[in-house]
Amino acid sequence: MKKLLLLCVIAGMLLTTFSCSKRDRDSVVVAQQFGLGYAPLVVMQEQKLIEKYYPSAKVEWAQLGSGGAIREAMASGQVDVGSMGVPPYLIAWANDYDFRVISALCEMPLGMQTNRPEVRSLKDITPDMKIATPSPGSIQHILLSMASEKELGDPTALDRNVIAMAHPDGASALINHIEIAAHFTAPPYIFVELEAEGIHQVVDAEKDAFGEPFTFLVTTGTAAFRERNPELFDAVRKALKEAIDIMENNPESVADIVAPTMNLDKETYLKYCNWPGVHFVTNPRGMLKFLDFMNKAGYVNKMTQNEHDLIWE
Amino acid sequence: MAEKEINDKRKSLATRLIFLVALFVAWEFLPQWTGSEKIIPTFSMAIEAFWVNLWKGDLFKHIVYSLQLIFTGILIGMLLAFILTALCMLSKRFNDVMDVIVSIMHPLPGIALLPVVMLLVGLGAKSIIIIIVHSILWPLIVNALAGFRAIPRIQLELGRNLGMRPFRLIWSVMIPNAFPYILSGLKIAWARSWRALVSAEMVFGASGLIGGLGWYIYKTRFFMDVSGMFAGLISVIIIGMIVDELVLKTLERKTVQKWGMSL
Repeated sequence: MKKLLLLCVIAGMLLTTFSCSKRDRDSVVVAQQFGLGYAPLVVMQEQKLIEKYYPSAKVEWAQLGSGGAIREAMASGQVDVGSMGVPPYLIAWANDYDFRVISALCEMPLGMQTNRPEVRSLKDITPDMKIATPSPGSIQHILLSMASEKELGDPTALDRNVIAMAHPDGASALINHIEIAAHFTAPPYIFVELEAEGIHQVVDAEKDAFGEPFTFLVTTGTAAFRERNPELFDAVRKALKEAIDIMENNPESVADIVAPTMNLDKETYLKYCNWPGVHFVTNPRGMLKFLDFMNKAGYVNKMTQNEHDLIWE
Repeated sequence: MAEKEINDKRKSLATRLIFLVALFVAWEFLPQWTGSEKIIPTFSMAIEAFWVNLWKGDLFKHIVYSLQLIFTGILIGMLLAFILTALCMLSKRFNDVMDVIVSIMHPLPGIALLPVVMLLVGLGAKSIIIIIVHSILWPLIVNALAGFRAIPRIQLELGRNLGMRPFRLIWSVMIPNAFPYILSGLKIAWARSWRALVSAEMVFGASGLIGGLGWYIYKTRFFMDVSGMFAGLISVIIIGMIVDELVLKTLERKTVQKWGMSL
C-alpha cells in the first residue's frame, strides 16, 4: 500500500510539472523562423519594436525548426505569437485551437520547378516521380492539390508522389538531380532554382493553382495571450505593422541585419526583395478560398463564410 | 508445487490486468480533468480514431506496408547474421575482422546512416530496408557469438568424443546451447527494426508510394490530427505486443523453456 501511495505521489508531481504554465503578464514569446517571408520578424527583433510600443515588455524569441513545431508550441501554450503559411494556420483553426491571425506578413511568388525536360505540365508526372514539399498540409502541398484539381480533376491525384523535405534540402536535391523530380517551394529557394541550369517551372502558384494573388504567411496569436494582456497584444500588432512597412518600402535600411540571417549578400537580398510578386503586407487575402478548398478536398472539416472568425478584431 | 505455480501465474496475470485497466482509466479521465484533450486525446478518442482509421482510412495500408518492409529486413538480416556468424565460428581470422566491424557498426544508429544510404540507393523502400538490416544485423551477431562462446567446453568435447560430425555438433550441441542468446538477439532485433522503420520515415518522409506507419504519424502530425497520431502509435504498440507475446514467447516456450534452460 505504501508503495502504491508513493507511486501516486510521483505521478502527481510529474503531472503538475507538465501542466503548470502560469505566465508573467508582461512577457510574450514570439517564434522566429528564417526565410525571406519572415524578414519582418527579424526586423521586429533587432529593432526592438515591441518594446517601443510597450516599454516594460519582456520579449522572448523562440527558435523552432518548422512551422509545424511553432503551431504545436502555440497549441500547448509555450509560444504566444508565431508565423506560418495560411493552410497550416487553417488546419489549427479547423481543429478548434484558439488562435487567430493578427496580421498578414507577405505575399510571395510560389511555384513548382522540375529538373525533367519532358515534364511540361502535371499530366507528364509519372507515379515514380517524387515531388518535394516542406510537409503534408503545407501551403506548397495545398497549392499543388489545387493545381492538380485544375489540371487532373482530382486534388489528391499527386498525394502519393509527395514527400517531405526542408526547403534547402529540396532545392539542392532538385538542382543536383538527386532523387526528386520536382520541388514546390518559396523564396528565396524558388529564385535559386529558377536561375539554375536545366530547371524550369511547371506550376506558377498564382496563375495555375490559386488563380489570384494570395497571402503566403500570416502572423497568429493565441487567445490566451490576448486575454492575458490586451495592451501588449496591441503593441505586437503595431510592431508588426511597422516592421512590414519597413520591409515593403525601405528594405535597404535593414539590409545589414536581415541579409545575414538568410546567408545572403546585400545585393542578392535587395534583388529578392524587389522581385516581382514579393510584397510585405498586413492585410490577408484569399484565406476563405483556401479554407473552402481544403474542406472540399477533405483535408479539414470546419468551414466559415466570415473572415472575422479567422482574424483578431 | 504445481498448485503454487498456478497460483503465482494467476496473481501475475491479475497484476498485469489491473495495471492496464488503471492505466486506461487514468488516460481516459486525466485529459478531461486538465482540459488538455486537444493535446492528449482520451483513451476512448484514441481507440475510436484507431478503429475508424483502420477500416475507413489508410491506416491498414500503412500497417501492411510497414510489416512488409520489416519482415523483408528481418529475413535478410537473419540470413546475413547466420552466414557471418558461421564464418566467424569457422575461421579465427574472420572472427577477428568481424570483431572490429561489429565494434565500428554496432554503436552507429541506423538513422545516422540514412543520409549516406540515400546517396547510394536513393530514397525509398530499399534505403529503409538497408537501415532495418543494419539495425538488427549487429545485435544478432553479437548475441549469437556470445552464445556460441558461452558453450561449456566440456559439452563440445563430449560431443566430439561421441563421434559427432561437425554438422551434428552444430545442430545438437551448439545451437541449442546458444539459443537463449540467439533468442534475446531476436527480441532486440524486432524492437530495433520498428524503431528504424518509424524514425527513418519520420525524418525523411514517405519511403515509397504508400509509406508506412512512420509516414502516417508524420502526416497526422502536420494535419494536427492528434487522435490520428495516437491511432498510429497504438498500431505500433499492438503489433509489437502481438509479435512479442505470440511469436517470440511461443518460440521461447517451445525451445529454451522446454529444454529446461531457463524459467
